[in-house]
Amino acid sequence: MNDMRLTERNMTDQKIKMQARGVDVFYGDTQAIKTVDVDIQDKTVTAFIGPSGCGKSTFLRCLNRMNDTIDVCRVTGDIRLDEEDIYDPRVDPVQLRAKVGMVFQKPNPFPKSIYDNVAYGPRIHGLATNKAELDEIVEKSLRRAAIWDEAKDRLDQPGTGLSGGQQQRLCIARAVATNPEVLLMDEPCSALDPIATAQVEELIDELRERFSVVIVTHSMQQAARVSQKTAFFHLGELVEFGETSQIFTNPQDTRTESYITGRIG
Amino acid sequence: MENKEHIVSSFDRDLEGIQAMIMKMGGLVETAIAEATAALENRDEDLAFKVRKGDKAIDELEERVNEEAARILAQRQPAAGDLRTVLTVFRLSASLERIGDYAKNMAKRAGVVMQMQQINGAAAGLRRMSRQVELMLRDVLDAYIQRDVDLAADVRERDLEVDQMYSALFREYLTFMMEDPRNITACMHLHFMAKNIERMGDHVTTIAEQVIYLSTGDYPDEDREKGDRSSYDPGNGEV
Repeated sequence: MNDMRLTERNMTDQKIKMQARGVDVFYGDTQAIKTVDVDIQDKTVTAFIGPSGCGKSTFLRCLNRMNDTIDVCRVTGDIRLDEEDIYDPRVDPVQLRAKVGMVFQKPNPFPKSIYDNVAYGPRIHGLATNKAELDEIVEKSLRRAAIWDEAKDRLDQPGTGLSGGQQQRLCIARAVATNPEVLLMDEPCSALDPIATAQVEELIDELRERFSVVIVTHSMQQAARVSQKTAFFHLGELVEFGETSQIFTNPQDTRTESYITGRIG
Repeated sequence: MENKEHIVSSFDRDLEGIQAMIMKMGGLVETAIAEATAALENRDEDLAFKVRKGDKAIDELEERVNEEAARILAQRQPAAGDLRTVLTVFRLSASLERIGDYAKNMAKRAGVVMQMQQINGAAAGLRRMSRQVELMLRDVLDAYIQRDVDLAADVRERDLEVDQMYSALFREYLTFMMEDPRNITACMHLHFMAKNIERMGDHVTTIAEQVIYLSTGDYPDEDREKGDRSSYDPGNGEV
């Protein structure tokens, strides 16, 4: 654990997994994101913080083209995953979202069994050729999401019957089942109690060994705890982006300071 | 968007509270330095006794400051400038408490020295030195409350003069002792008093560095000139 803390301080040598340049987002005539540049490093947790309506969730949703589903939403600029333009017309958004998975604020398991919740993605993406392989993926995903022990004896029961914290971990299992390279989390703990929150945070820390995690959170303490990089958004602008330890002890922008110290809403 | 006050106003009151306690400690310590020196100079036993008794109040304040600061950490999880405010409060209270201890020790020694034969001019150098440190402490506390980085940096530089004064006193006391061995006991005590003041100056410097960290988020570079050469002094007048 101590070693890890030390390595966390030096994240700059991780390669850049996703790169955004000059990203603007409009909802109709309203500009929600103003020329944002950001680098998401591999095997790193990046936190987006900022007051409600600052655009952090909107920006997060650009990273796997979730905004495509909103008719009035228009995204311009350049976003790349491993140097590949994700808004290229040849990119299939469904394939993209298998690589860039997402977990939402409210746990939203499908009204299916626990097993089918996790097996759904691998099935549609053809990641398993037979039942045994699928079983293996389901078990591995549930283990990675730290819910295997609680779920293994009730895999045929509906996912909606689990507690809130368990449902959220089930959704994380579902997201990791397709072997994503980036995991986007939009306030994954805001509907959870402190114990479930701690379990999800522990999970995020473990997930970081495999891929990048981008988390939007309203809890500044959570951002400080789980992330190595923090981006502060305000009124659609990326105000400050840097090492989490620096943002929380010595922010360079007075707006960042005011926000994280609880002086502005 | 910039706003000095927290949305939760009791947080502001908490932070103001611990800083006010630091200022109170600072005031008590300043007085202790001045009175310990005056006690020696005026051979005032009562004043020396008062300083020794007064150190308890400083120690108690330190304890209260630390308890409050710990509570704020637990309750508010301060960040950025607020976090630095709480962190520096811990360091400042520790430094002030140490300076208070040195003043108390000076008062003890003053009580002994005043029973002995007076050495002409021996107390004057101590008085100048202690006055210097007292003024540095006053300025650093001002710098603290005003978040004045320049003033703090200035205080930090002035510690050089304290070190030089200490070196000069070191040689002066050596001379007195060589002139007349009956002066040795008194001079040993006086020398320890000078050393106490020199150490106070170091703690004031630490406070100045904390003020700079508090205001800027960075510590100053450690390239200050040191003025105390007495560690290398062979005692034969050839430094």
